[in-house]
Amino acid sequence: MQVKRHTASSDDHGIDLAPMLDFTINLLIFFIITTSFVKEPGITVFNPFASTAEARESGNLLIAIRENGEIWLDRQSVDLREIRTIIERLHIERPDDSVVILADRNSKAGMIAKVMDEVRLGGVKEIAIAADNEIKN
Amino acid sequence: MRLKRRSQPHSGGSSHGIDLAPMLDFVINLLIFFIITAVFVKTTAVEVSRPTGFEQPENSDSKSVQIQILESGDVWMDNREIDVRAIRANVERASAVDQDTGVLVVASEMAPTHVLVSVVDQVHLGGIYNITFTTSE
Repeated sequence: MQVKRHTASSDDHGIDLAPMLDFTINLLIFFIITTSFVKEPGITVFNPFASTAEARESGNLLIAIRENGEIWLDRQSVDLREIRTIIERLHIERPDDSVVILADRNSKAGMIAKVMDEVRLGGVKEIAIAADNEIKN
Repeated sequence: MRLKRRSQPHSGGSSHGIDLAPMLDFVINLLIFFIITAVFVKTTAVEVSRPTGFEQPENSDSKSVQIQILESGDVWMDNREIDVRAIRANVERASAVDQDTGVLVVASEMAPTHVLVSVVDQVHLGGIYNITFTTSE
């Protein structure tokens, strides 16, 4: 009788889930905290090299300029004149964000200047130009 | 006898509290969502500023160093063509003369980005972080 009762209760409940739940919730909290809502441009460009480039934690709005002058923002190709409205909208959603311009190493300086001006008109004052501080490939 | 057996699982249930399994399922789903959406972007960048329109600096006695980048990628400073790597020494000299010296980088519209960024890098290495970037047609 006693043996039967023992097996019945352990079969019903299986292993104790509480420690696993604790662990899982810790993991969950970690990932929630580390999640940064970065607007990615959707393409990769070859960054120029600068040994003094500093890591930017807050740079969460990435604008890519390709070699041929195409501008990519939030996974779509945009026109120069669209940048201002897009930045304005995103700036209202997250006012403390900053912009990093990912310019291809063979893109033109004039395009960077134009994009920077549009971003500033959109209300974001913190703008940086992405550069690698170590030589890749 | 029967009653006793029935009350036994009941007391076992109260000792375990609520069933954690559905909650665990939910939490694990959340966890998977955040793991998938987590983006570990670490951009490194150099910061440059743009001239702020019409306001003229009041302290016009602190003259700024001007560096020109031509369409071809040649760099001119103090009315002579210099190597990109020589900028650092020139900037160090200028900042030794005047601590508050700023650098004005005048790039041609067509100047390649990698030259611009390496000029900015060299100016940083020379100890000046107050860099203004403008373009000339």
